[in-house]
Amino acid sequence: MTQDAPRNDRPRAVNGHAPDVFKREGQVPMREYPKNAPVDFVIVGAGCGGSVLAAKLAEAGMSVVLFDAGPFFQPRRDFASDEREQEKLYWLDPRISDGDDPIELGANNSGRAVGGSSVHFQMVSLRFRPEWFKARSKLGYGRDWPVDWREMWRYYDEVEEALKISGPIRYPWGPDRGRYPYREHEVNEAGLVLARGAEALGVDWAPTPLCTVSAPSGKSPPCAYRGMCKIGCSINAKQSMLITYVPRAIKAGAEVRDLAMVGRIETGADGRATGVSYYRDGKWRFQKAENVVAAGYSIETPRLLLNSSTAQHPQGLGNADGLVGRNLMVHANDAVWGEFDEEIRWYKGPPSMATCEHWNYADDDPSKNFDGGYSFMSQGPLPGDFAGTLTSSTGMFGDDLLEAMGRYNRMAGLKMVGESMPQVDNRVTLADETDELGLPRAKVTHSFCDNDRRLQGHGRKFMSRMMRAAGGKNLFETQSTAHLMGGCPMGDDPETSVTDDMGRVWNVDNLWICDGSLMPTGGGVNPAMTILANAARIADRIIDARFD
Amino acid sequence: MTHDRIYDTFRRRTRRPVGGIGLGAIVAGVGLGFVAAGLAARRPRSANPVKRSRNKREALRLGRDGAAIMGASVLFDSALEHLRGDFRRDEMYVAPLTGATAMAAALAEPRRRKRGRVLEVTHLSSVGIGIAGMGFHLRNISRRPGGISWNNLFYAAPLGAPGALIMSGLFGMVTHRMAQAEGYEHLHGRELACLTALALVAESGEVALLHFRGAFHDKAMYLPVTLPPLAAAGLMAQAIYPHRHFRRPLTLLLRAVEGLGYVGTGFHALGVARNSAGWRNWRQTTLAGPPMPAPISFAGLGKTGRAALDLLAVGEDQPRQNKERAAI
Amino acid sequence: MSQPFRTPYPGYDVLDKWDSPSFDDQTREVLRARRDPPPRRFLDPNQFALLEALCAVVIPQRRPEPVPIAPFIDAALHAGRGTGTRFATMPPERDAWLRGLEAIDAEARAAFDGRGFCELVRPKQARLLRSIDRGDCRAPEAWQEMPPQKFFRALLLKQIVQIYYSAPAAMSEIGYGGPASPRGYVRLKVGQIDPWEAPFGTWEDQA
Repeated sequence: MTQDAPRNDRPRAVNGHAPDVFKREGQVPMREYPKNAPVDFVIVGAGCGGSVLAAKLAEAGMSVVLFDAGPFFQPRRDFASDEREQEKLYWLDPRISDGDDPIELGANNSGRAVGGSSVHFQMVSLRFRPEWFKARSKLGYGRDWPVDWREMWRYYDEVEEALKISGPIRYPWGPDRGRYPYREHEVNEAGLVLARGAEALGVDWAPTPLCTVSAPSGKSPPCAYRGMCKIGCSINAKQSMLITYVPRAIKAGAEVRDLAMVGRIETGADGRATGVSYYRDGKWRFQKAENVVAAGYSIETPRLLLNSSTAQHPQGLGNADGLVGRNLMVHANDAVWGEFDEEIRWYKGPPSMATCEHWNYADDDPSKNFDGGYSFMSQGPLPGDFAGTLTSSTGMFGDDLLEAMGRYNRMAGLKMVGESMPQVDNRVTLADETDELGLPRAKVTHSFCDNDRRLQGHGRKFMSRMMRAAGGKNLFETQSTAHLMGGCPMGDDPETSVTDDMGRVWNVDNLWICDGSLMPTGGGVNPAMTILANAARIADRIIDARFD
Repeated sequence: MTHDRIYDTFRRRTRRPVGGIGLGAIVAGVGLGFVAAGLAARRPRSANPVKRSRNKREALRLGRDGAAIMGASVLFDSALEHLRGDFRRDEMYVAPLTGATAMAAALAEPRRRKRGRVLEVTHLSSVGIGIAGMGFHLRNISRRPGGISWNNLFYAAPLGAPGALIMSGLFGMVTHRMAQAEGYEHLHGRELACLTALALVAESGEVALLHFRGAFHDKAMYLPVTLPPLAAAGLMAQAIYPHRHFRRPLTLLLRAVEGLGYVGTGFHALGVARNSAGWRNWRQTTLAGPPMPAPISFAGLGKTGRAALDLLAVGEDQPRQNKERAAI
Repeated sequence: MSQPFRTPYPGYDVLDKWDSPSFDDQTREVLRARRDPPPRRFLDPNQFALLEALCAVVIPQRRPEPVPIAPFIDAALHAGRGTGTRFATMPPERDAWLRGLEAIDAEARAAFDGRGFCELVRPKQARLLRSIDRGDCRAPEAWQEMPPQKFFRALLLKQIVQIYYSAPAAMSEIGYGGPASPRGYVRLKVGQIDPWEAPFGTWEDQA
């Protein structure tokens, strides 16, 4: 078992084949590229950014090699119904977490597998509010995106269609968004707690648009409501990158290299990228490339750029102004939990089946004492996860803990996804110590600002009111964070951003970034769809530029 | 003894007292239905074979079978759906029971005299219980958060389902009446055509809702929302303005609708197989997947539709028949 | 001290579903492998005994065959398996555990006349842990700058409960559905349970 000897320590995408993710055994053919001839694109990271880009570029006829530090899983064989075993999906290598409000990494926000965090995300598939793309000019906080919201919304359409998002027919907030490709799921009782509370308080609620299918799609069965989304979907109902864009990329001729940790982006005498050095199967190797894309998310992307320093780029790539790694954002993940008379049994179904985005759109509410917004969802943590929440927030143990856990089936919760402001001092840097491969570990420094705290307080208060209105008793609150955004924001101005509007690093014209680290602001919704849509947009921009 | 133990286990599991009895009653209802079916299989031969044209006998048979199939569909579909709802209210046993009696009553037709009253009452009670069921379902929906929302229309008690019970009762009534009376075939034909048309439209509406819920993920899912409304239009036209014209293609269309009932059952079986672990996980997938007993009601409606056309033909032939008889 | 915990779901055992579609091969394999706890390899016997005593206070188990917890913590430390986060105020995980165990023992000795943690009766052990959680320490030097509450909550408690609640016995006692693949659930609303779930529970506050 994994505690003792990792079973997933050998690359599986080798010898012209990749694992067939829809079967317990079996492979699919995969093209391979020689290391010493430059491929069109090397993409580092097979998560929401890298997978979409790889699939679209390969489908446009380019040669692509997609690297990931994690294993290439076959969900139906490798994913057990066991929280502890499934920790293998997370990035468990230590990162150093500092600041006034140090964040928890690992299970909270970092995946390490082909498919990235999408393998264990909770599938909440929301869109940004249009005004957030011009947060500074329209709402007076944060930064502007170098993109028009209508363009982003076209790409939301595209990725939602590709992932067969199952969402409500009428979404109560924001401009009309057309119809989701698949219908909403049946809302479980935990979700109805939110619904009842919202109706009592007179605010809208909606069945959450989810990235798991409500009817068969291709080789995916409809969701069986196992409730183990956070530890990986063993039946392939969840439309993670691993079973959608990654197979698409392979089919279109891309090569995936799993268990391949890219340590450096190499640059030539002209300062342009020449390829990547990566560690796979026991030794360091080099892959030549015309273009390199960093898509390792908000910690690994800055870490990689910073660690690729040369005489010409002494502070790391794209970091002449010292901006790489800065403006890192998280979402406040504060929650309110309550006990009910009847058994809710929140373990059934995806954890967040109902959502309320009221405070993302209520600009004029007199009680709104913060910039930005937050949404919140119903909850359904697995026992180990919930026990950890209980102990880390209350310190309870012994029979008190057993008693509290004995009420597991009668609990319900509301948890927010609260926007936090981009701040230059929230950042990723390289620590002095190194990991097993000799690469400097990432150090993450994070502190909330006053506005963040006001927003969180407002959220906890409102969620408590709603929980009481729904009939919850013995409420208690917890504080946590989730998601990562920013670190290498894109923008129109090289002075204040790391890349241009298509993710191209200023001053290194064949180095790109394509993941959540590009996000100039975090918004008050889960970032997955925005990262995906942005990646689809960047892919089209690259394809257009190439064939012009 | 054993029954007590089963009963006890069931009650502890579900906190509901009636479990064992209710399930027993349903099983008994199914048995009753099949006994009736066995009896009915012999009926048309023994029942007053004289004076009836082949068309009329055929119409009676089709009407009877149609009504029985509708009843059977209600029996199995409501048993399945209410099992999914854990039979958490005693009233939920009524639906499959009524489905069973509706099926049995339909199969006991056609009768000409005695015990006709009992059957008539049974048909009428199917209609009544169907209407009450709709009320229950509407109440169930309106009490949930969201009220008449898509989520509740998709996943709460289906509003349209008890309609099949109403239809089964009405078809039973019509079959009953046309078996008892001679000389009103044309009128009965028009009635039956109209009724079948309405039932087809209602049924397609229900299918449209549920296949929409399934995002029409398979193109074949469009068939039951296109063919039946077409057939319904044809039947309605015949009901308003009976005309021999188009009757032949309409018969073909109705046969297609009937076939859809059988093929649909097969498709739904495949649909169950496409759920997590397929039939191996039948305890989940037969409830969560497409309902196996649902499509067959189209077979029933295809039959009653053809019965209507046959009756119209009988009615139109009658003057000629009478003349022929007079000539002999 | 609170009442001894009584499960609301007596008689329910997720392992009854071992051969049902709720369990798949990989889950059975994981649970089978966990049935034999790994040997002690990282901590020394005294440290291990202390860890076992801590586990027993945090999760008082009254069953004939208690769920083993300490061996898995030891195995994780041996394998160098991390959590993905090291707070800047904390030493690396292995050091944190060694230092924390030693400090807890030192706290016991400082508070109870030189008696080590293992020698204390359960209520005193619990009282000691509560004061450590409050930051009310008598042997601050033993912690060597490591924040006691951070160690106690973020490492000790968290690891113990996460190991415990991944055990079938713990799942059964809280009425959790347990492993669920390929079979999930059908009935999602209040008052509705699938036949393969725990029957409704009973609590003292609503008897």
